[in-house]
Amino acid sequence: MGEGMGESTPVRLRVNGVTTALVCPPERILLDLLREDLNLTGTKRGCDLGTCGCCTVWVDGKPVLSCLTLARLVSGRDITTIEGVTPASGLSDLQRAFVDHGATQCGFCTPGFVMTATALLRDHPHPTKPEIERAIAGNLCRCTGYIKIVEAVAATAEGRP
Amino acid sequence: MHLDPFELHRPSSVEETVSLAGRLAPAFDYIAGGTDLLPNYKMRLNVRPNLIALEDVSELRGISLDRVGAMVRLGELETDPAFGSAYRGVVEAAAEVATPLVRASGTVGGNLLVETRCFFFNQSFPWRKSLGFCLKADGDKCHVVPQKEKCYATFSGDLAPTLAVLDAEVEVAGPDGRRRVPVASLYDASGDGIQRHHLRPSELIVAVHFPPEARTLRGSYRKLRIRPSFDFPELGVAVAARQSADGGVERLALSVGGLETYPRRFDDLTRRLVGERPTIAKVRELADAVRQLVRPVHNTALAPDYRRKMAGVYVRRSVAEILGVAEETR
Ligand SMILES: Cc1cc2nc3c(=O)[nH]c(=O)nc-3n(C[C@H](O)[C@H](O)[C@H](O)COP(=O)(O)OP(=O)(O)OC[C@H]3O[C@@H](n4cnc5c(N)ncnc54)[C@H](O)[C@@H]3O)c2cc1C
Ligand code: SF4
Ligand code: FES
Ligand code: FES
Repeated sequence: MGEGMGESTPVRLRVNGVTTALVCPPERILLDLLREDLNLTGTKRGCDLGTCGCCTVWVDGKPVLSCLTLARLVSGRDITTIEGVTPASGLSDLQRAFVDHGATQCGFCTPGFVMTATALLRDHPHPTKPEIERAIAGNLCRCTGYIKIVEAVAATAEGRP
Repeated sequence: MHLDPFELHRPSSVEETVSLAGRLAPAFDYIAGGTDLLPNYKMRLNVRPNLIALEDVSELRGISLDRVGAMVRLGELETDPAFGSAYRGVVEAAAEVATPLVRASGTVGGNLLVETRCFFFNQSFPWRKSLGFCLKADGDKCHVVPQKEKCYATFSGDLAPTLAVLDAEVEVAGPDGRRRVPVASLYDASGDGIQRHHLRPSELIVAVHFPPEARTLRGSYRKLRIRPSFDFPELGVAVAARQSADGGVERLALSVGGLETYPRRFDDLTRRLVGERPTIAKVRELADAVRQLVRPVHNTALAPDYRRKMAGVYVRRSVAEILGVAEETR
């Protein structure tokens, strides 16, 4: 029911498997909470308006835009950020492929692409190139021209480096 | 960008939602996926002190061939095989909204009531302030048609035209009960870019209902935009038709969005083809008439003359395709 204006009752958020009780006013955006309260700065703020995909995280395993998500509306759900899909040491196969294929240049878009593409490969382990292109259509990259990104995802799917 | 404070309400039933809305109206907005509302709030466009979140209202969920709940995500709709084979036009439109990331959150109800758009409106607060605010938010004049006292912001939802041609209806709940409104009469020329639909301030869209006849129709959607993902429609043409065994037109409907302040049907024009064997000459006549009637203004990325011309081209292509009429090639 109603939650008071600017009220600061703590909410419980489960991020990368860890549950934290946080002060979270109703107007708090998930992206801001991740970066500013939890120091999870791997998730990037690009446009802040839904038009770039840099801020992609998973809610219950599904890629969504954290810049257009009210933090309170995802309490009780499972939130995963780029920090949560990166192994404790080294890189995931997909991250390695991004490096090897030159799919990351300035790198600002990379966390968003990795979140989207990791979910794609989990749900569809053998996507075609058009399927990869469709899946990443909400992530913008101003450096690579996308070809190397598609190649990195395809190479990971085929199990070749 | 941080948002100004508001109170967030999370009702769990339709009745609770609309009684809360009745008490708060007009000082509230519903929030479904938030993919339209939150960018607007970030730009401080008509921010309200209360948000009623529809997330927990389970009656707003569920997809069948008769009914789609208002909280169904566009991403769910576009991947539902049974729905997709029954209503091709609706699914084509859903799959072309924004991007997969936006469609993961964006809903059917939110798409029907997506805010109208204008180059002078969809801008940051400092941008709008420096130019001088406009009628639709904080100001008292229109920058697009300054001689008029109305708003010409463009209707930019992709689903509504495809639902209107199927004669689908929305089920609406309010503090005084429920009613059904045809999608085609949810919006019309009597409104403008501000008074953009005929729902009362506290009314909630519960679901979209499809009449049995909708399943006998073939439908399609053609969208004009600059980039094949991300961009709102600069023009959206939905058609639906049924023909007899010998090719005679039994039913034909056309709705055009992305051009004016509302998605517009052209029943007077499409009626002329009913009972006829369609020819390319008749299809061209229809397309030319639509091109002459529509009045886009200069408030989106593409020039109005171009959008108008393309309305003729897209209507011709879509109607010819759906009725199986070969276009002459040169
Ligand atoms: C980058 C980007 C690109 C986009 N491109 C497109 C596009 O190409 N085509 C397009 O159509 N849209 C586009 N959109 C807009 C938006 O994402 C979609 O229209 C989406 O379907 C809106 O649904 P939502 O649930 O997020 O709506 P919200 O933002 O939650 O709500 C939108 C409006 O509807 C009202 N509302 C929502 N649900 C109900 C209900 N059940 N009853 C009554 N009122 C309700 C809200 O109060 C609000 O006024 C785009 C958005 C972004 C960020
Ligand atoms: S059409 Fe005019 S009043 Fe409406 S949003 Fe644009 S500038 Fe403002
Ligand atoms: S920061 Fe969220 S889409 Fe750009
Ligand atoms: S690597 Fe620079 S934006 Fe993608």
